[in-house]
Amino acid sequence: MKRYIQRLFVAILCSVVLFSCVEDLDFTQYDELEATPSYEASILYLEAPENVINLVNNNSDVFSQNFNFDAFSEDVFADRVIEGTITYIVENTTSKELEITIEFLDESGNITDTEVFFIEEAPTANIQREIAYGDAGRSIDIIKTLSTIRVTARNLGDNTSESNLNDPMITVKSSGKFRVRLK
Amino acid sequence: MRISTLFYIALFGVGICAHAQNKQLLYDFSEIPQALNINPGAEVDFKWYTSIPALSGISFQAGSSGISAFDLFANDGVDFNTKFRERVLGGMTTKDELSGTYQLELLNVGFRSQDPSVFYSFGIYNEGDAIGYWFQDYALLAIDGNADQLNRRFDLGDLKTRGEMMNVFHFGVNKQLNRKLTVGGRAKIYSSVFDFNSTRNKGFFVTRPGQNNILSSTFNADMQWRTSGINALKDAESEGNIGSTVLKRGLFGGNLGLGVDLGFTYKVNNQTVFTASILDLGFVYHSNDVENYTLKGDVTTEGVEVILPGALADPNRDFWQDLVDDIESIVPFENNFNSYIAFRPTKLNASLRYNWGEQVPRSADCDCGPNVTSNNRLSKFTNGVGAQLYMINRPRGPQSALTAFYLRRIGNIMTVKTTYTVDKFSLSNIGFGLNLQAGPLNMYFLADNLLAYRNVANSRYASFQLGLNIISWGKN
Repeated sequence: MKRYIQRLFVAILCSVVLFSCVEDLDFTQYDELEATPSYEASILYLEAPENVINLVNNNSDVFSQNFNFDAFSEDVFADRVIEGTITYIVENTTSKELEITIEFLDESGNITDTEVFFIEEAPTANIQREIAYGDAGRSIDIIKTLSTIRVTARNLGDNTSESNLNDPMITVKSSGKFRVRLK
Repeated sequence: MRISTLFYIALFGVGICAHAQNKQLLYDFSEIPQALNINPGAEVDFKWYTSIPALSGISFQAGSSGISAFDLFANDGVDFNTKFRERVLGGMTTKDELSGTYQLELLNVGFRSQDPSVFYSFGIYNEGDAIGYWFQDYALLAIDGNADQLNRRFDLGDLKTRGEMMNVFHFGVNKQLNRKLTVGGRAKIYSSVFDFNSTRNKGFFVTRPGQNNILSSTFNADMQWRTSGINALKDAESEGNIGSTVLKRGLFGGNLGLGVDLGFTYKVNNQTVFTASILDLGFVYHSNDVENYTLKGDVTTEGVEVILPGALADPNRDFWQDLVDDIESIVPFENNFNSYIAFRPTKLNASLRYNWGEQVPRSADCDCGPNVTSNNRLSKFTNGVGAQLYMINRPRGPQSALTAFYLRRIGNIMTVKTTYTVDKFSLSNIGFGLNLQAGPLNMYFLADNLLAYRNVANSRYASFQLGLNIISWGKN
């Protein structure tokens, strides 16, 4: 009897194994998984009121400042970024025409990219510009090596007038949207 | 292939479900001694029993409630990214989970007291259990990112996971109070090898139109990841003595806890029986080799902000580093070594069984044949049919399963039980259990979700239990 039961036990186990099926699976497909998300966030906001601009003679630099910006040159980002765009919105509510220059510098201080905005006085002064980097635009290496952003504002008008608008100023807004390869 | 890759493939490859730890085949299967472990108040007619160490009380269950290995890895010519996007990102929700549990008996002995109405049992088993819910919003952030999703809140609470490995030392008492009622209790000491849990996370990440700048990013987090024993295992792995470390921590060298199981069997009438049990009503106090990580705070940023003329006061100011420092101080990622209590996943079982047919004389050495009415241990009927309810406390709330079963005794040598179980994950779970008695040698094999064996890879749930015992009814 004991032997009979043992055989029955083995037979059941074998039946489960023999009559079960496993369809063909290909786990190497996991290697094909691509994760290339796009992330976006603001980069730099600069604001200069008209009374500050009026302190400087016309045709002179109102402002020129280097800003350390290591976000894009960090390995976690630089090693993965594929492409992207930087969006600028420049608004001028002052009474004078201005020239805004944004330069990207690498760690050695070399200028790798320059964007210039000539912006008229209020009320029509509003520029939005998108700069692409990667295959469809400028070299993505500009982004990968970005270490410093230099912003220069130059007054192309007078230094006495004041806009009638409330709280007149020049503002530079910027955001970045980049696609990165996580896998 | 990296370890992480293998880990995920292994989890998916297992096939499988969320009613992990449901032992519907074993529950109320009174011919099997291990049934006492899931209802200490079960009817028991043994004089004594002992399991064969490491060959008994083996159970394994694993599952994925949202997807099977076949769904993803079938060699069907469909682009894997398309399958992943449609079936994982689009098909799973935060209620779906990947879970697994196992038990391995190291010792299980039971014996009847001099008072024949009392039966004692004790033993040791090793248990591992892990569950992770699908972290939907983290996956969306990793696959799609936050671009072009203004005002969409990515829920940081989607991270919910826990896992543990421990040895359980238990001692149970089963007493037949009268011919209708049998009650039992089991005291447990848990010796935790390791534990991790991150189940009470809150917070969100959202990108909105900015007030000054174009975009505003808000990160609100109240997150915690608690661990114990993990560092000891990491050290042991690097030193090559992981086996002895696991053994030491499992033998009271880790963290300890207490728990209790309670259960009863009540005969409503001669043919109808109601049973219920509550298991692992307990906790483990983690104070040894604890390391916890926290991320807590609320910050909104619109990037580097330079507002003249104030910004020119310090020409050497590093606006970027200031921004980074501000964010890190507002939402600090910290660790601590504070002790914590982890409650065990408590289980509830209940069944209602109706018996009929011939009465099979019991193996027990007692005057308890079919015509006896005064003895507490009456003979068993050949047929039993009924329903069982199972519930378990999980990080996202209780999960339940309902089972219909039929049990058939064939003499005193064979008992079979078949079950049909429904829960929110499966409507086609048919299980089969076989118990064989060859003299004192008892063997059982219980397997679940048999229909899935047509294509194991397409199964979302698999479990089996098997064991060998030596049983005596005190006969000469």
